Amino acid sequence: MGSANRWRVCTLVAVATAVLSGCGSSGGSGGSSGGGASGGGASGGSQSGAVSIGVIAPFTGPAAQFGKLLGSPCYAATDLINKAGGVLGHQIHCTSIDDTGDAADAVPNVTRAIATTSNLDMTIGLESNTAATTVPLVNAAKIPMVTTNGLVAFSKNNYPYYWRLTPSDDANGAAFAVWAVRKGYKNVAVVFQNGIGSEGNLPGVRSAMPKLGGKLGLQLTIPADSASYSSEVAKVIAAKPGALIWSADPQTTATFMSEYKQLNNGALPAMITATDSLTPDFFNALTKVVGTNYVTHDVYLVGSSFSQTTPAFKIYKGALSADPKTSAIANVLSAVGPPASVYDGINILALAMIMSKSTVGSTYNSDITKVVAPKPGAVVVDNYAAGKQALAAGKQIQYVGVLGPVVFNKYHNSAGTFAAAVFAANGSANRVGAISGPQVLGLL
Amino acid sequence: MHLIIESVGFGVATGAVIGLGAVGFSVQFGISNILNITYGALMTLSAYVGLLLINRGVSAWIALPIGAVVVGLVSVLYNRALLAPLVRRGTPPVAMVITTVAAGTILQYVIVAIAGPSSQSYGEQSGQTLHFLGLTLSEGQVVIIVLTAVLMLGLHLLLTRTTLGKAMRATSSNRTLARSCGISTSRVSDISWLISGALCGAAGVALAITTVSFDFSLGGLFLIPMIAAAILGGIGQPYGAMLGGLIVGVSSEVFAAVSNPNYKDIVAFAILIIVLLVRPRGLFGTGSSTRRLMEG
Repeated sequence: MGSANRWRVCTLVAVATAVLSGCGSSGGSGGSSGGGASGGGASGGSQSGAVSIGVIAPFTGPAAQFGKLLGSPCYAATDLINKAGGVLGHQIHCTSIDDTGDAADAVPNVTRAIATTSNLDMTIGLESNTAATTVPLVNAAKIPMVTTNGLVAFSKNNYPYYWRLTPSDDANGAAFAVWAVRKGYKNVAVVFQNGIGSEGNLPGVRSAMPKLGGKLGLQLTIPADSASYSSEVAKVIAAKPGALIWSADPQTTATFMSEYKQLNNGALPAMITATDSLTPDFFNALTKVVGTNYVTHDVYLVGSSFSQTTPAFKIYKGALSADPKTSAIANVLSAVGPPASVYDGINILALAMIMSKSTVGSTYNSDITKVVAPKPGAVVVDNYAAGKQALAAGKQIQYVGVLGPVVFNKYHNSAGTFAAAVFAANGSANRVGAISGPQVLGLL
Repeated sequence: MHLIIESVGFGVATGAVIGLGAVGFSVQFGISNILNITYGALMTLSAYVGLLLINRGVSAWIALPIGAVVVGLVSVLYNRALLAPLVRRGTPPVAMVITTVAAGTILQYVIVAIAGPSSQSYGEQSGQTLHFLGLTLSEGQVVIIVLTAVLMLGLHLLLTRTTLGKAMRATSSNRTLARSCGISTSRVSDISWLISGALCGAAGVALAITTVSFDFSLGGLFLIPMIAAAILGGIGQPYGAMLGGLIVGVSSEVFAAVSNPNYKDIVAFAILIIVLLVRPRGLFGTGSSTRRLMEG
């Protein structure tokens, strides 16, 4: 999943932990947890029996809750698909493939699962830490994979079976730049706390700012939780930025901005940061030291977005709420993009199977882009059942799901839509503008 | 050049807080010979005591001495209830250190259980910004620097001009001999834990004022730089600990000003290692203190 989104999802993991710990064991609706699922049959070959969706995620180890959380939308998608009669007469189920969160340990587990899981015709890859090893394995097996990792390395790749519906970290960075220039801040200072989650955004900012006619006045990486950032603040002030493109934890942010205000005669530049900062901790920490007026007027939260009022979202949320395996965390899951991308991704691949009349990955893979591409006379569908019905009637379709329109570039990445929001006085957020995904991808 | 001069000022302010904590740690080790890792959690406790008072309308500058007194008393109890009995039973030094780690972890999570894991803040306490001699400091930073200097002076007078101070120095130097000379070493120990605990408490509130935002990990984050400052200055030597704190603070800020701030936290440790290679006892350390540290 996108590293830049990891903080927000991890915050939600903390909320969901107590609930999930009371739930049943991990594993798919028909499969088992661990290194692989049921034995027998090479993947993608036999077309009898249920279709397996391999959910490649950490189900053991320190990130186990992460895997459980992000793997859960698979149940929502498969419940609705099976309710609509399955795919080409096959029921479809989720099978957990434990990558343990470690790139090296993932290899034998994923290899074994590919070799032994019956009808493993679709995969979901959730972890950035393991993507470098798992994506090549799955691609070599010619199994289409929808992934939520945000690694910049995959922004340009040569894996035909790789599909990503969430923005990469550098796309987030480019979105920051778009918003900064749109608001008139052509000279920005980029200040990121050291860490992969923050620094993944940097290449996007670097690439986008000059193309938009702006400049990077200063780029600084700071350590977390220092007693003082006065020297760093003095450096930033000297660069005279109109805005800070910012990423840091709440405490670091509060310390830094407090000192900035003190050293800059009470004046603060605008701040553009990720939607990961849309947390009570960040809001409270910053408000206490610089005041509500600044936080609600001059702090912009930019990130991928989707509407929570569309019929597609309501169907998705309804499916999450209806399944006992996900009902307790439906609100948590439906608040962020990566789980929704898992749901949409499964629907898209399932509709591609129908379009190509095959569940074999090497056959239906080329139809994936056709499922989402706009075309004259196409019926716009927002769920699997409607898509299946339209295809059965001989119509062309365009799937527009929870994440909105999907536009894959030549590297099979779709950034989706971005939006900017500001904090409200009560700590919630109000959207103030949209940023086009294709524009963002074009700046990379 | 202006940035470097400014960063020296910033470093003195940061170093004063680190030095305050390092002095307390140094005093504690000097008397008890215990590497007390609970020290960090006690600083955190003081910060939250300060928060409790500030949320009830008490000034942060009043909360500081109150936090110091509270942690001073807690330190005495902690030593009497846990550490002293273990020492009497001949617990090995490594086990003592692990005990202090365990106690610190327990205290930290008791704080989390009561106050929650979210970050907290005293709000803006810095006051006006002052410019002089090329330096830029806030009123709050100046107060902390002056307070640290006053406490150091007070400690110096206590150690050199009072009977108690002589007893403390004697106990630190040779506990057995001090006892045989009629010094009540247990009473001296109690008072030393009270003083070092008070310095720890003062450092905790000062840290919370300086960092503006903190959580339950506050003390743990700054314990290592404080121990490094204490060792740099010579373990068991309050003046050395103060100087060590200033070196840690100034070197970090100057490095951040002239180079990559990502590495500012390791500059002080690099200086520590270089100094110890040249002078293993630290800047002001004595051979006996160093030997006791190696043994403990």
